[in-house]
Amino acid sequence: MPEVRVDYHEELQTLEASALGGLDLVTSQLVRTLEAVEHQDIELAQIVVADDDRIDGRYLEVHQALITLLATQSPVATDLRLISALLHVLKNIERMGDQCVNICKVIPMSGHQPPADQEMVKLILTMGAHAKSLIAQAKRAFCERNVEMARDLVDRDDVIDELNRECFRLALAIGDDADQREWAMTMMLTARAIERIGDNAVDIGEQVAFVVTGLFREFEDASHPADHA
Amino acid sequence: MEGRKLRDMFGSETKPGTEAEEGRNTMSQAGPVTETSSEPQGVAASARRAKTLEAKKVNLYYGDFHAVENVDMTIEPNKVTALIGSSGCGKTTFLRSLNRMHELTPGATVKGDIELDGEDIYAKGIDPVAVRSLIGMVFQQPNPFPTMSIYDNVAAGLNFNARKLSKSDKDAIVERSLRGAHLWDEVKDRLGRPGSGLSGGQQQRLCIARATAVSPEVLLMDEPCSALDPVATLAIEDLIGELKKEYTIAIVTHNMQQAARASDNTAFFNLDESGKPGHLVEIGPTDEIFTKPKQKETEDYVSGRFG
Repeated sequence: MPEVRVDYHEELQTLEASALGGLDLVTSQLVRTLEAVEHQDIELAQIVVADDDRIDGRYLEVHQALITLLATQSPVATDLRLISALLHVLKNIERMGDQCVNICKVIPMSGHQPPADQEMVKLILTMGAHAKSLIAQAKRAFCERNVEMARDLVDRDDVIDELNRECFRLALAIGDDADQREWAMTMMLTARAIERIGDNAVDIGEQVAFVVTGLFREFEDASHPADHA
Repeated sequence: MEGRKLRDMFGSETKPGTEAEEGRNTMSQAGPVTETSSEPQGVAASARRAKTLEAKKVNLYYGDFHAVENVDMTIEPNKVTALIGSSGCGKTTFLRSLNRMHELTPGATVKGDIELDGEDIYAKGIDPVAVRSLIGMVFQQPNPFPTMSIYDNVAAGLNFNARKLSKSDKDAIVERSLRGAHLWDEVKDRLGRPGSGLSGGQQQRLCIARATAVSPEVLLMDEPCSALDPVATLAIEDLIGELKKEYTIAIVTHNMQQAARASDNTAFFNLDESGKPGHLVEIGPTDEIFTKPKQKETEDYVSGRFG
């Protein structure tokens, strides 16, 4: 039987690609953000802040188109779950973009000659590298509708959470110097923002499971820290 | 392919008996003869700009009863305009005024202007039969001529309007029309069989082929899918999406999801109360009507708050 409603199906595919393309934008922002942190590059930080408009623009554009699709095509079953998931994923993308901006905004606070603790800087960059690969995995899991790959995001994110705690311990031990303490505070905010990026990637994984199974369940819930099957 | 001009159908003041004759003669000058000489054989003509249908202060009456009041509306070329609204709101009455079918009801009258690319279809001397081939209609109940073959069904309008076509010209038009209606592959080996032997969806596509065979500018459809199953309905909606590349289309539907899926613009008609005339509440791009309508009445209707 020939396919019907081709235009509608193609539009949905286009919107999915456009939404997931937002993850590429986030990745490029994250890479530049980490570079700005490593080199205390205020100008690069300012560029990242300005470029967040592109992510916000993508959010608005795809969001509106999805609402229109809901209104005009009466999607059901997988199509409906997909559209719901994409609306959530768009929000995750927008938040990840905002976290990059948050990191970039605290870089100038460190001053021109920040008393950098190299161990902490290395920790932050490692966290960042993990977050970047988590985003790539989340995108791939969604594209491939791969629930196992999505669930694995939880374990990968645990690594980031552990590094975040390590960062906190280092910050506490940093010493009495006021400049040093201020610097350590900004590094904690940075670590926290990267940890949030990781959590958003896990949320995307939960949406993959929703699209495929029709069930929504948090992979890992802070109020129930026991095992995640 | 040049569209035919309404004024080419302008006969002089004719006596009732000769009206149809006049229509046939003027149409054959402007119509199929030109068409077949430039038409690619057996292939749907590439997209071309169809005509705008404009209603200005249209009021419709059945005798003394004021059925529809003050409609101002533009039906845009190469787009699908859906007319929605509850039963009795006047949308079908309005549709039938667009190709001069309203006046076929005894005592029915029209006030106001209806213009096809600026030419008034109700002007003195215009032949209503000619109007109805330029502005074709497809009805809710598929109505192929039951004893005629599929071929003759499609060619029916041609036979009536232009006797001077050669067989090969007619064959070309029949094939073009059936292809355009997404029916050719299913019936090409049985063109001589009766039209009544087809499924509901196929019969409706046959009626669409019949309407397009006479090269209209506009296609009016009155609930064309109401008698069809969901799969046949979607097939017709896809077909309408194709047809709008060549024609201007207006479709009355009581199925809001169909209006939402298949149209570019939506016009919402309503009645204030029974006995009052129906009127146009709002017309706009379909995605706006279904996401942020301007009138509360429209919002209430599309979200099902009243029937």
